[in-house]
Amino acid sequence: MLVLSYLLVTGITTGALYALVALGIVVVYKATEVVNLAHGELFMMGGFLAYTLHVMVKLPYVPSVLLAVAGSFAIGILTDRVAFRPLMKEGLVSVLLATIGISFILKGVARVLWGGKGDYLAFPPLVSPEPMRIGNVMIMSQQLVVLLAALAVMLVFAAFFKTTRAGKFMQATASNPKAAALVGIHVSRVYMYTFGVGAAVAGASAVLMAPLTLLYPDIGFPLFIKGFAAAVLGGLTSVPGAIIGGLLVGILEQLAAGFIGTAIQDVSAFIVIMFALIFLPTGILGMRGTRKI
Amino acid sequence: MKSFRFVLNLTVATLIGGLVAVGHAEDGVTKDEIKIGSFGPLAGPVYMYGKLAMNGLEALFDKVNQEGGIHGRKLKLVREDDACKPEGGIAAVKKLIYDDKVFAINGGGCSNSTLAARPEIVKAGIPFVVNSAVADGISSPPTPNIFTTQLTATIESRAQLKYALEQKAKKVALVAQHDAWGRSRYEPMMTALKEQSIKPVSDEEMTIDQNDGTAQALKLMQTGADAVLLIVYPKPAAVLIRDSLKLGYKPLWIGQTAIQDLPQLQEQVGIPGALEKFVSIATIPAHPDDPEMAEWRERIKKLFPNDALSVFNLMGIGSGMVVVEALKRAGADLTREKFLKAMGSIKNFKTGMYPGPITCKPPASNQCNQSVGWIKFGDGKPKSAGVTTLD
Repeated sequence: MLVLSYLLVTGITTGALYALVALGIVVVYKATEVVNLAHGELFMMGGFLAYTLHVMVKLPYVPSVLLAVAGSFAIGILTDRVAFRPLMKEGLVSVLLATIGISFILKGVARVLWGGKGDYLAFPPLVSPEPMRIGNVMIMSQQLVVLLAALAVMLVFAAFFKTTRAGKFMQATASNPKAAALVGIHVSRVYMYTFGVGAAVAGASAVLMAPLTLLYPDIGFPLFIKGFAAAVLGGLTSVPGAIIGGLLVGILEQLAAGFIGTAIQDVSAFIVIMFALIFLPTGILGMRGTRKI
Repeated sequence: MKSFRFVLNLTVATLIGGLVAVGHAEDGVTKDEIKIGSFGPLAGPVYMYGKLAMNGLEALFDKVNQEGGIHGRKLKLVREDDACKPEGGIAAVKKLIYDDKVFAINGGGCSNSTLAARPEIVKAGIPFVVNSAVADGISSPPTPNIFTTQLTATIESRAQLKYALEQKAKKVALVAQHDAWGRSRYEPMMTALKEQSIKPVSDEEMTIDQNDGTAQALKLMQTGADAVLLIVYPKPAAVLIRDSLKLGYKPLWIGQTAIQDLPQLQEQVGIPGALEKFVSIATIPAHPDDPEMAEWRERIKKLFPNDALSVFNLMGIGSGMVVVEALKRAGADLTREKFLKAMGSIKNFKTGMYPGPITCKPPASNQCNQSVGWIKFGDGKPKSAGVTTLD
């Protein structure tokens, strides 16, 4: 029973990491219908920005985090202006390919700037590095922070899409860009801010997760895959779905490792993507494939 | 007429002599220079095994040249990038052998690219001394022109098990990556365990990017393993140790050379005292900050102002010292044959870089480094924890 408790709690806390990554993917997809394959690298850049400011420049934690998030937002906007906007007219495949290109460029830049500072860089946790007890289970304090942050970010974005004009503009643009333009929405600006916000979410996630995941130039893609599996499972258009998907992927991973074998732990995310695409193509909370007229 | 014939004979003799001399000249050797090639990754995530090892080698050559060279010849390093890829290794070696025409190669940063390049090196017969790559297949089965001064995967795996048994471990467990790197160590480890009739109480897998090791730690704890042999990179090692501490599980952790930066590992785990029961194999037992490394710190700084002396520089320097010794022993009339014979004559050669002396035993084995140095972490810095020499 204790083993099961540990696996479930660990699944939830690891799943929170994936949920945070999935949230960024969903926010961008919801507004642009583009799966940003560079999302993992934006996450990585956010983490390294925070590392540079806090560990290398020795700025206090909070300003470092805020500047890293702002920097990530700026990188998101820059990638939109340089790569995505010029290609939007060419269709989604072109933009998708551009996101792959951006991911390689960001990885290359990170290798040049931070690659020589050690293999895996440690980032100081927000809370004590010692584990804490919850009931009869010990967990890392930082894992709890990530879980709470994932829930907070989810609530903020759910409210943003539901209650704000900007959120509604984003959804309208994703639903039908031409119609959105006809009613006066500045579509390219919406796209720009969406990529910026997606990158900012990635940056914020990176700061919270870096003490657990460590930082290195190649961290982006493996996390993206887990986050993407979570987003596909939860529904690519659903913010709460990203959280549910993330937690489910995390729990499935742990249960698979605990009861089947540790060899299957890392591939379970791919199995989730495969089954979700076959049996649940719109995800648990995603929009159904029917179009409204 | 006689004097004309004398001059003619002298000219013909000189020309023939010159042609004979040219015919015997080795690639990469002139009267005042010896070209040594090196290949490995010069950029990318594992550039340390290539670029930094080559920087160390260059610092050594600079020192040798300042001291007058070897038998009057200066050493010149020729670098080629293999991008740590098999196709890159083959291309780099072909360029060194046929375009750059180097006398010998001292390098090989990555196992996969060096393994791929081996057939070309064997075919050309060029002397090759490995300085970084660890795969056994590079130097085994032995071939007359390939030597290694690096520990090999088999030597490390056997040493890990030997250490566990010396510490009287009753229940030995294994946690390994099952990628190409991990497999090259996992399989010799399983062979070594079988030879000792030991069945690991737990055999778990981790991946290089894993963010949580709770499931593995739970399994290890349930089996009561008192020594865990780690065939993983630093990140999974840090994650596993962290999550084991979370569970209150503290076995003897036995790492290998991929996890030899212990101050960094302590930072990565993040929990104070996390490495109390951790030992690992060190390629270079000395720390770059040690007082006896002052000369090399200065030399690296002089040639590469942005670099601080690293373990990877020292790996290049140590291996280069063996090559320099063989060049000295080969004599002024340098040929590849004489160089290879000189490499084979190296016994108990102390570089000050490796944990034990270098001994080559051709034709039985050209794996010249059989001494494994152990390090542990205490008082905030790495400390030597002894040397294991394999039979």
